[in-house]
Amino acid sequence: GFTVFLYEANASFSGQPAYNDWFLSLYNVFFTSLPVIAMGVFDQDVSARFCLKFPLLYQEGVQNVLFRWRRIFGWMFNGVCQAIIIFFFCTKAVEPQAFNNDGKVAGLDIFGATMYTCVVWAVNCQMALAISYFTLIQHLFIWGGIALWYLFLLAYGAMPPSISTTAYKVFVESLAPSPSFWLVTLFVVISALVPYFSYSAIRMRFFPMYHNMIQWIRHEGHCDDPEYCNMVRQRSIRSTTVGFTARSMARNNCLEDGIYDHR
Amino acid sequence: MVMEGKDGTIESSSASAPTKKKSKKPKYSRFTQQELPACKPILTPGWVITAFILVGIVFIPIGLVSLFASEQVVEVVDRYDEDCVPSTFSNKTEYIINSKTNKTCIRILTVPKKMISPIYIYYQLDNFYQNHRRYVKSRSDKQLRSKQYEKEIKDCQPEDETEHKFTIIPCGLIAWSLFNDTYGFSLKNETLRVNKKGIAWKSDQEEKFGSDVYPKNFQMDGWIGGKKLNESIPLSKQYDLIVWMRTAALPTFRKLYGKIEVDLEANQNITVEIQNNYNTYQFGGKKKLVLSTTSWIGGKNDFLGIAYLTVGGLCLFLAISFIILYVVKPRPLGDPSFLSWNRNPVGHLN
Repeated sequence: GFTVFLYEANASFSGQPAYNDWFLSLYNVFFTSLPVIAMGVFDQDVSARFCLKFPLLYQEGVQNVLFRWRRIFGWMFNGVCQAIIIFFFCTKAVEPQAFNNDGKVAGLDIFGATMYTCVVWAVNCQMALAISYFTLIQHLFIWGGIALWYLFLLAYGAMPPSISTTAYKVFVESLAPSPSFWLVTLFVVISALVPYFSYSAIRMRFFPMYHNMIQWIRHEGHCDDPEYCNMVRQRSIRSTTVGFTARSMARNNCLEDGIYDHR
Repeated sequence: MVMEGKDGTIESSSASAPTKKKSKKPKYSRFTQQELPACKPILTPGWVITAFILVGIVFIPIGLVSLFASEQVVEVVDRYDEDCVPSTFSNKTEYIINSKTNKTCIRILTVPKKMISPIYIYYQLDNFYQNHRRYVKSRSDKQLRSKQYEKEIKDCQPEDETEHKFTIIPCGLIAWSLFNDTYGFSLKNETLRVNKKGIAWKSDQEEKFGSDVYPKNFQMDGWIGGKKLNESIPLSKQYDLIVWMRTAALPTFRKLYGKIEVDLEANQNITVEIQNNYNTYQFGGKKKLVLSTTSWIGGKNDFLGIAYLTVGGLCLFLAISFIILYVVKPRPLGDPSFLSWNRNPVGHLN
């Protein structure tokens, strides 16, 4: 969405959108909504079994770790950065010289379709990077969303120009045959994701959150070792055994103590 | 045998009346219990480094190839709007509006390297907002497509009807502002032929501009915004109009004017006779003439090649820094002594 705003700066803020009207309308409906729903329904950062083993995971909810304003703003900032990257790279790469070896130049429709393709790819791949539990349905929604966009371009473009106006045959005639389009898409998508990927890698390795720790433990294979798990649990609550924090945590975590008793 | 507690009561009740207790537990399925088979990837150091190296290895050759292709393209750009106004006229706008002034202007272009045909001729306009919303709307696609819709002019105001209420075909601001500079090329006193066929996208020519629609009442009265059209040629063959009506995305743009189909050698001097008609002076626009060859990637644009190389290099750099980090600060992954509350004595999660 931010790319539309950036484009306005280049259209003297006259309100001319960068994309065809139908592209805009269907953005949230088809091309990006299904992966988000799939992520909300199916994603599990730690599977149910481990949630029971490490009850301190509840503290992530109690202490509002995952929905802090700082985190929300972080995601928004990530979105803005990606939009800026997408917009400026598309603009620089496409204008003003010829677009393909036939000498033709890229107009508003070609530029809009290229940028929209990059946005759809970037959003869906970002989702793929953020999900940690890939079921078949997730794969279907993410890659299916991208494929749906190309199919839509083909279908919409094939409709007579009275309906498809500026998108008429834009994919078949202008975009697909020109290698410039594919190269720009590949480049812009990967550049837009590199910042988040680096941040995620650094965070996972050097500043992991509690559920990341559990994922490492599972990955390392220590999860079946009851002594190791016990040690993790004991050390987790060690620093909160005295004082106000301990009392408040004990008040909230009576369930955890109950589980310990049963074991 | 006497059973105690709950079991006893159940025993007696089942003995007296065999009621089946209907369980409300939903049927077990892997979908509803969220136990679908899944892969759970996490960002191990191996994956991260591999990903960055892969991106670097793929991007750098692509960058080199793109840059090489772009360097092969030969381009000649000549800005002529400032120089083409005779110095006797201080007010450029008045000069251009006045239909009696001589607008012919001779420019000499030098070919820097050998240019292989077809050589494309473009005119480039700067600071011309063809992407302004009201401008983009000001056309009637129906009218352009077919004769039966010639009265469909509601979006075209104010360029929809003449003073005497005759319908203008093609209507709208986009058509009205058609670029009208012309260029004539000659080399050593021999005229170079400019081919106008094939400069427009085929889908435009065949589908969007009708072969039964002829210009009518075009640029007749009031302000004249641009070129006049030959009324005996149908719109599907008015190539300049078709190229112009594909609105550009940004305020600086080029449009294809024609093609030269002979090779040009290095250091040759091309004489261009320009009819400097188009009024860009009123809004501070610029006009440039461009001659360019193309490669498989299009025109001359170093950006894509350089950007690929930059991002590829950056990824390799990140890969190397990660390798150094993991080698210098190794720690067993999953070691709970690195949990944040164990490092921080106060013991808050994050």
